[in-house]
Amino acid sequence: MTMLEVKNLDVYYGGFQALTDISLSVERDQIVSILGSNGAGKSTLLETISGLLKPGSGCIHFNGGKIDHLGPHEIVQLGLALVPEGRKIFSSLTVLENLLIGSYIPVARRTKDEQLQNVYELFPRLQERRDQLGSTLSGGEQQMLAIGRALMSQPRLIIFDEISLGLSPIMVKHLYQTVNRIKQKGMVVVLVEQDVKRSLKTADFAYILQEGKIRLKGNPKDFTEDEVKKAYFGL
Amino acid sequence: MLASLEPLINGILLGGLYAVIGIGLSMIFGIMRQVNLAHGELMILSSYFSLIFLQLLGLHPLLTFLFVLPAIFILGYLIQIFLFNRVLEKGMEPYLMISFGLSIILQNAMLLIFTPDARTLKTSLVIKSLNVFDLFHVPVIYLVDFATGFLVFGILQLIMKKTYLGWAIRASSDNLTAAKLMGINSKRVYALAMGIAVITAAISGVLVGMTFTFYPHSGTQYLIIAFGVVIIGGLGSLPGTFLGGLILGISQLVGGRILGPGFQLLSGYIILLIVLTIRPQGILGRK
Repeated sequence: MTMLEVKNLDVYYGGFQALTDISLSVERDQIVSILGSNGAGKSTLLETISGLLKPGSGCIHFNGGKIDHLGPHEIVQLGLALVPEGRKIFSSLTVLENLLIGSYIPVARRTKDEQLQNVYELFPRLQERRDQLGSTLSGGEQQMLAIGRALMSQPRLIIFDEISLGLSPIMVKHLYQTVNRIKQKGMVVVLVEQDVKRSLKTADFAYILQEGKIRLKGNPKDFTEDEVKKAYFGL
Repeated sequence: MLASLEPLINGILLGGLYAVIGIGLSMIFGIMRQVNLAHGELMILSSYFSLIFLQLLGLHPLLTFLFVLPAIFILGYLIQIFLFNRVLEKGMEPYLMISFGLSIILQNAMLLIFTPDARTLKTSLVIKSLNVFDLFHVPVIYLVDFATGFLVFGILQLIMKKTYLGWAIRASSDNLTAAKLMGINSKRVYALAMGIAVITAAISGVLVGMTFTFYPHSGTQYLIIAFGVVIIGGLGSLPGTFLGGLILGISQLVGGRILGPGFQLLSGYIILLIVLTIRPQGILGRK
């Protein structure tokens, strides 16, 4: 069953066309990767899917329903959560308050205590630091917090935007193990990355973006190194 | 010697009122990064609303809270939804202009409806004063002002720290984009925050009406006090604003006692300038 479907998306960002004719789909029980270098249009695509940007043309369907006209606060209620690039945690809130605000939507409030335990189980460090201000956490801890916060909203599909950025290899490995555990819990995962090798290893299906267009798509195990390089760098 | 504690004690108590005057302005700046120039007028409008209920129903001014607070909350909520939400995320200038226009409209409306006569919310509390050990006098109304101020801040702190609305308001202030991704409807949260800010303005308006006389144009002097409180105490900090109120109150009354009553306002502003020079973000302000 198709969870997320993007069809012929054109997105403009301040007078310039950031995305051209993007079509992709994410099935249930999949980890899908969207790759591209800086400026390829990954963030624009995610901002459009999550409702922060409106497309010029094309449409987006989630769980069978059209979402491209909805605001971000409505889309998360439908079960689509984004772990944003740069983490964007709330620096003046404590770790616990950050997690609790993750359960802001009505459906998540009812199960917040249970969800909190799940998040603490995945990230024991967050439980240790639960009364600390968000701004005092290290980069890796902030990434854990951003992921935990997104999980609190009880999402069906969760998009990770560049979670490996600025983190040590050990931390990245730990995070990707967590991503796999999240998938095992039944959530659909979309990974957006610059780190090509690791995300191709993890994904069932991958799209490579370059200059706002999809250059390559398919099962990453079938990609040749040449194909990937061409698509990624546009050579 | 103990008698000289009088301006200090009274300054602290009056400072509680100043703190409530300032918190509305502080909240709107802290959350929306905007300055509401109509803040003083919303206070005085509340004083007049209270006056109406006092004269119509013969209620004690403190009881008029029951009517004035909901009325002002609705007014503030509507102002945010229909006026200010239109210029959200468009910078500071449009908001300043709208709030300035609003303050002029409100001032002149009050002038037209209520005439320029001096008014006060008469209550025996204003006349009574506490005789403390025969050493100095504390006007009872000042005690009411401080107690109310303390209560207001206590309730606000509870809301901000323990409720979903409080977390939503603080989150929106930290990172609006991320807040939207949490399911927070920014327009509604701003309207609720404005409603809360306006309720504090209403509370301070009624207390001001009881403590001092007021005119349609009184809003301006209280806007200035609000600025003073917020600048001294620090933007975006609840305890800071309370502290700012106390410091301004103490500066005014102690300065007025030392230099003479005509120097009351000036003493407050001197302290304001000193704080602005040494620590521009305010005593407990975030940088």
